[in-house]
Amino acid sequence: MVYTRKTVWPLVLGIIMVAYAYMVQTGAMEPVIKFLGSGRNAGEMQILGYTFGVIGIVIGLWQLLVTPREGQTDYYLSMVGGVVFIMMVAFIVKWGLDPLMAQWGRAAQPALGFNFASVMNLNYVVMGILAGIIIVNVFKVPGWAENGVRLSRLGLKTGVILLGALYSLAELAHLGRLSVVLIGFFVLGSVGVVLWMGARRNMPNSMTGVLSAGVGVCGVSAAVAAAPVVQAKSTEIAYTIGTILLFGVLCMFIFPIVGKSMNMGFIQFGAWAGTGILNSAQVAGAALAFQPNGIETLKVAEIFNITRVLFLPLIVLWLAVWYVRREEAAGKTTGKVDLVQVVVGKFPVFVLGFILMFALSSTGIFAPAQHYQGSYFDNSDKVMSSKDREGKVVSKLLGEKDLAALNAEAGKVQRQDQKAALQRLIDNKKIMSIDDDDTLRGLVNAKVMSKAANDVLVKAHRAVRHTAKKIAMFRDLIAWFFTFGLVGLGMQITMASIKQAGGQPLVVGSVVGIIKALGSLLVVWLLVSETI
Amino acid sequence: MAEDKFDRGSALTVFKSDRHEDFMALLLSLAIALLVYIFV
Repeated sequence: MVYTRKTVWPLVLGIIMVAYAYMVQTGAMEPVIKFLGSGRNAGEMQILGYTFGVIGIVIGLWQLLVTPREGQTDYYLSMVGGVVFIMMVAFIVKWGLDPLMAQWGRAAQPALGFNFASVMNLNYVVMGILAGIIIVNVFKVPGWAENGVRLSRLGLKTGVILLGALYSLAELAHLGRLSVVLIGFFVLGSVGVVLWMGARRNMPNSMTGVLSAGVGVCGVSAAVAAAPVVQAKSTEIAYTIGTILLFGVLCMFIFPIVGKSMNMGFIQFGAWAGTGILNSAQVAGAALAFQPNGIETLKVAEIFNITRVLFLPLIVLWLAVWYVRREEAAGKTTGKVDLVQVVVGKFPVFVLGFILMFALSSTGIFAPAQHYQGSYFDNSDKVMSSKDREGKVVSKLLGEKDLAALNAEAGKVQRQDQKAALQRLIDNKKIMSIDDDDTLRGLVNAKVMSKAANDVLVKAHRAVRHTAKKIAMFRDLIAWFFTFGLVGLGMQITMASIKQAGGQPLVVGSVVGIIKALGSLLVVWLLVSETI
Repeated sequence: MAEDKFDRGSALTVFKSDRHEDFMALLLSLAIALLVYIFV
């Protein structure tokens, strides 16, 4: 089979990208960028525009001029068209529609009484996936792009692995305890409820088993991993995947709206999305939709998501024992299932990649080893002063006005730990430890003091928190890998795959999914504070 | 996209298996990490 199609489109898209990057570089796009307020993206507009533009032009010319022959070159180079196609959609959405929608939302607020772009979460993540869904279901993915669209999952997995670089051992220990308890409860609980409901509704054991893994653990990969253990048919796997995707897509749109209306913090929402949403891609989508201009929510959600994946071997073992017992009780014979082989053969390696990247990051090669949420704490004299443009030394210690603002409201603080941390800040004019920093962030979030006093605390926080350049680069790369993956994911959500979710699996999966979503919302809302 | 459109990989991936795709993602990530480590 020859994959390369004779088409001018990769070449045309490449030329458009290069032209756009050049216009940004020369300032010709300045009025548009100013109007949209997307000036902070000007750097990446040039780098990505030139990079993907040149790739599109070179490969586009090759596809036009050379007669393709079946083989590796044809197979791999034919993917470039799809990659350039996805990136074009991502550029339009991220640099055009996203800021435009934000402007329209603000403009319509006086008339509507609410910011529709914010309430409906119309940011680049949601619009990217929607654009993908519209393209595949209304216009069809062009033939020359189809092979490359299949790289979107590679983009998502690469993003997840790179995400490991943003964590350090200290941070994982910080979030890990909570995630293991919360995830353990909801994973085991939802698997148990699906098994119970499946038996009550007389679903086949193989269908129930594969659905329970999908709903309980981590969506599609768990369903695929559990399938051989419960001897599921391919239609049952397809039904499960359809249910998970349909429910996950709905959650991806609904979760951020609920999170914002409940005024949830980044950690609270990340914990909820990582626990309540069934599939990895939709967890990332919801977290980015909730916080499109930062990565804190995504990081927390992925920690919970990864913790969930780590339960997979345990669930596979449980299902194997359950299935054999159910089938034997029904008087059916079962084929021999090699548990070790199933676990070793199906465990997602990208999860191990995440752990490997995390281990590398914990050694301190990308940022100081104790870095937390991509940033690290340093209050040494060396960093507490800097030079301005004229070479004058500027101190980052709190000034007399700042201290007066804090002293005036210190009496409002009731919690002993917050009181002590605040006093240490006042005495030393700077935050003295990571724990104090966390405690004072909690104080800001609690809104105990006035805005003026909270602004001083935020200023003190910023003075001791520093982001390593390497980590900042990882953040940008991760955001683009996820954008690429999610636009491509949208292009794979066809009406046919949604229809596959019909019938019993949809009922059972949805009921358990809703219980899990509401239960985890309640637990997170009651137990998770912003700083944990 | 129908499954039978491609004689390699599946409707969702260009790779012959999930494990192959995972390893490619791992290699890509390590290469990116090395570049970031050296140049940033």
